[in-house]
Amino acid sequence: MRRRIRETPNALGALGGLVWVVVTIVPIYYLVLTSLRRQQDYYIENPLLPPADPTLDAYRLVLENDFVRYLSNSLIVTVASVAVILTVSLMASYYLVRAGTPLSRGTLRLVLLGLAIPVQATIIPVYYLIVRLGLYDSLVALILPAIAFAIPISVLIIVNFVRDIPAELFESMRADGAGHGRILLALVLPLSRPALLTVGIYQALQVWNGFLFPLILTQSSSVRVLPLSLWTYQGQFAVNVPAVLAAVTLSALPVLAAFVVGRRQLVSGLTAGFGK
Amino acid sequence: MLHRREAEPAQPRPARQGPPFWLAVPALAFFGLFALLPLGGVAVLSFMEWDGLGTPRWAGAEIWLDTLADPATRAALWRTVVFVVVSFLFQAPVALLLGVFTAGRQRYRAAFAVLYFLPLLFSSAAIGIVFRSLLDPNFGLSRAFSPGTLSTNWLGDPDLALYAVIFVVGWAFVPFHALLYQAGVRQIPASLYEAATLDGAGRWQQFRYVTLPQLRYTIVTSSTLMLVGSLTYFDLVFVLTGGGPGDATRILPLDMYLTGFRSYQMGPASVIAVLLVAIGLALSLFLSRVSGSGRMQSQQAGAA
Amino acid sequence: MRHTRLRAAAAAMVAATALTLAACGGASPGDSTDAGTDGGDDAQNGEGGAASAWILTGGGWPVTAASFERWNGEHDDQPIAVEEFENDAFKEKIRTSVGSGEAPTLIMNWTGGTLADYVANDQVVDIGAETADLTGRVMPSVAQNGVIDGVTYAVPMNDVQPVVLYYNEDLFAQAGIEVPTTWQETLDAVATFKDAGIIPFSLAGQSVWPELMWIQYLTDRIGGPEVFQAVLDGEPDAWSDPAITEALTKIQELVEAGGFGDAFASVAADQSADAALVHTGRAAMLLQGSWVYATFHTDNPEFATSALGFTSFPEIEGGSGDPANIVGNPANFWSVSASASDEEQQTALDYLNEFVYDDEQLTAMLDAGSVPPVAGLEDRIAQSDDAEYLGFAYGLVQDAPHFQLSWDQALPSDQAQELLTNLSQIFLGEITPQQFVDAMNATL
Repeated sequence: MRRRIRETPNALGALGGLVWVVVTIVPIYYLVLTSLRRQQDYYIENPLLPPADPTLDAYRLVLENDFVRYLSNSLIVTVASVAVILTVSLMASYYLVRAGTPLSRGTLRLVLLGLAIPVQATIIPVYYLIVRLGLYDSLVALILPAIAFAIPISVLIIVNFVRDIPAELFESMRADGAGHGRILLALVLPLSRPALLTVGIYQALQVWNGFLFPLILTQSSSVRVLPLSLWTYQGQFAVNVPAVLAAVTLSALPVLAAFVVGRRQLVSGLTAGFGK
Repeated sequence: MLHRREAEPAQPRPARQGPPFWLAVPALAFFGLFALLPLGGVAVLSFMEWDGLGTPRWAGAEIWLDTLADPATRAALWRTVVFVVVSFLFQAPVALLLGVFTAGRQRYRAAFAVLYFLPLLFSSAAIGIVFRSLLDPNFGLSRAFSPGTLSTNWLGDPDLALYAVIFVVGWAFVPFHALLYQAGVRQIPASLYEAATLDGAGRWQQFRYVTLPQLRYTIVTSSTLMLVGSLTYFDLVFVLTGGGPGDATRILPLDMYLTGFRSYQMGPASVIAVLLVAIGLALSLFLSRVSGSGRMQSQQAGAA
Repeated sequence: MRHTRLRAAAAAMVAATALTLAACGGASPGDSTDAGTDGGDDAQNGEGGAASAWILTGGGWPVTAASFERWNGEHDDQPIAVEEFENDAFKEKIRTSVGSGEAPTLIMNWTGGTLADYVANDQVVDIGAETADLTGRVMPSVAQNGVIDGVTYAVPMNDVQPVVLYYNEDLFAQAGIEVPTTWQETLDAVATFKDAGIIPFSLAGQSVWPELMWIQYLTDRIGGPEVFQAVLDGEPDAWSDPAITEALTKIQELVEAGGFGDAFASVAADQSADAALVHTGRAAMLLQGSWVYATFHTDNPEFATSALGFTSFPEIEGGSGDPANIVGNPANFWSVSASASDEEQQTALDYLNEFVYDDEQLTAMLDAGSVPPVAGLEDRIAQSDDAEYLGFAYGLVQDAPHFQLSWDQALPSDQAQELLTNLSQIFLGEITPQQFVDAMNATL
């Protein structure tokens, strides 16, 4: 009996899986379809049928309205933040795992406590601080807090990997006369690569998608990042819904490209560090 | 958060010279200046009156009393509880089931998994804009069908809006958690299932007695991220409804933002921020206590 | 071998950090190509008189944008960088911007409570003497809004914006009824359209502020302008005036009767979805500011020229307010930021004196269907393409015994937010008029 049940394909599971496929796909299908409509057809045509007269006008309008600038702002903020996050977290993790002093243990506890701080809650003092530092309305204003808030989880993930590096490896390198910088680069860095990949991808997505900090800490279009630009396009294009949705579609393309190029690494990298 | 294991460094010899403290200084400097300092700042500001234009003025405990006594704050607090709990009840089972489902090696499941991943391509702002347009009762999806059907006023009806928002937030976040579960399931040794099959366990029994217990660390990680995440969730709600209709979706983080940056009452907004921090801390501690993961030692490294 | 690769990786990482930090420096606003979007830096960078201004999108704003383009074309040495915002986003950003000392040189406002806050914090400067020419051209009833304690801190810069009742003539013809002029006729029209499956009044409830127009007109028609003046003066229990309670009751009556359809809370004014409902024939009427006339013309020119009707808000039987009173915004105003450098301020003042309501802007405004708050334009209006509408709006303003500034602009921002929240709950039927009155009295 049981054997037979086990061998039947899981019809219920497949059905449930299919339902979620529909739930996932319909909004995206609607998005792409609508972005190809002519503005005047938007009010008339059935939203789920392909446009009678497809056009790329909406995309052209978006590209003519500084989309590339917002894209490059987002890229700068993301790359800068992630590079610094990885560098300082790796250095700190090496210290936190290998120092073995009361100071290092206390520091680790302090940093881990940071995991429980809801980032959004500090926005008012962060705003005040950024204004006082004269950084308001600059890309640096977005990068500095992004780094700060990424540190606890990044350190946690990397520490878990560094901790698994056998102590003998450190000792033999020390015995060979290697300095700490060299140990960091030649031993810790390569052996914690999965963790760095996870941190890198996870934080890149966080920073790339960030909305609240750009909303509060910047104002000019010259330093506007993508998620915020979508919101402002919505006001700028107003009734031109196809144009707004074209901007949304374009904003997903860079991540889609990364996804196509390295899906396996992305997906496994995103979760590898959390699994530990 | 995550099933964190306490720092128990693998017994370094005190005699050997460990790495110097300065290696941790850059990380600590960023963290201290832009996370800890503002955290202290928000506590101080919660006792001050500041309209965002002039300089902050000391006002004392009055702001706390006024804000806590304000029925609007209490309503927002309750709404936040509903938001967090219902979000969890929706996201966790769906993510778990999808994770288990996509961990299977069948080809169609791999294809589905690619599709499930798609929402991760979009920022919260993007998702908010799409759903706002999609759920518009006048010009949205409702026009695809004959008049009357599906023209429910999802985001405009105060009784429905919060649940509509919860659904959209779930749409955005389920994929990530499903990935966590998928990775978790794939780490379960096949031998456990073989043994269960030999014992005559059916599909449900295998799920109940093999998969679930083996996933416990993943469950703790994912649940903590979900609960603490939705407690402070802002972006999507802001773009979707801005807290409306009325104050039907004005959860605490939004209440903080609107009080601070629309009514320009930074004092009361800071009180709400401190509340958020306190609740977040309590929730994290509670979760790590419940899961007992605070005591896990590093020997379990490979187990999950 | 292995080590060299690692070292390369590490070096790449360091390089990336350095590079991006450099890139960030390069991207700071002071260096950006479009002539300085923030005040302070530019003066330090020695860019001289480069000023900045923020404007809105939609309505008659393209005229203002064009005016700046014209200015920049003629003044290479005194450029003004312009940023466009949607209405709600602007209201949120301008305050933080002013508070952070990074305000644009020209600060747009609606006067009222916000301007009073700026003045109290010394964030805008006295421009009375420098703009005397400009204010001399403007209707005194409009210009006086920018005066606080006898000092001019703001000058009008665009069209006068009375709130008008727009309607779809085709739908009225189909229904065979006339446009309502009294409250009873309004209720009758609602019933007729509802039976025909048409939304009687389009209302952008998601934006909430359009709901203010209803309570403002109803309160004024029922009890006159003194009722809200008492609120502004901070008199205790000013919201308890029976006129306000009656206005709230009438609103809920209208909602109950299906006057706004079922989905008004999902309609956003910033996307002009309320106007779209009217020009796509799904709603019969729209109570909105005069700027919507331009929106109709942009979004659906065919409808705007053939079937767009307009009239004033109905009378309320037994009300003591003058039915000629209007509500809305006298205009948008420019103030000059105190944190701007002398050169920036000079550029801004030059622009105000030379370009605001100059002949070209007046022509552009009339062409766009906007009414300038400038006296003596009757002849030009009569010759314009939109003579009928412009004459109507111009007359409305000139003949109004009282022009009530939008309540959310007139009140301090914390009270205004409270008002908007409670009002949206009235429309949603979440609270009773009494609860509204109690909540609002608590803010006084």
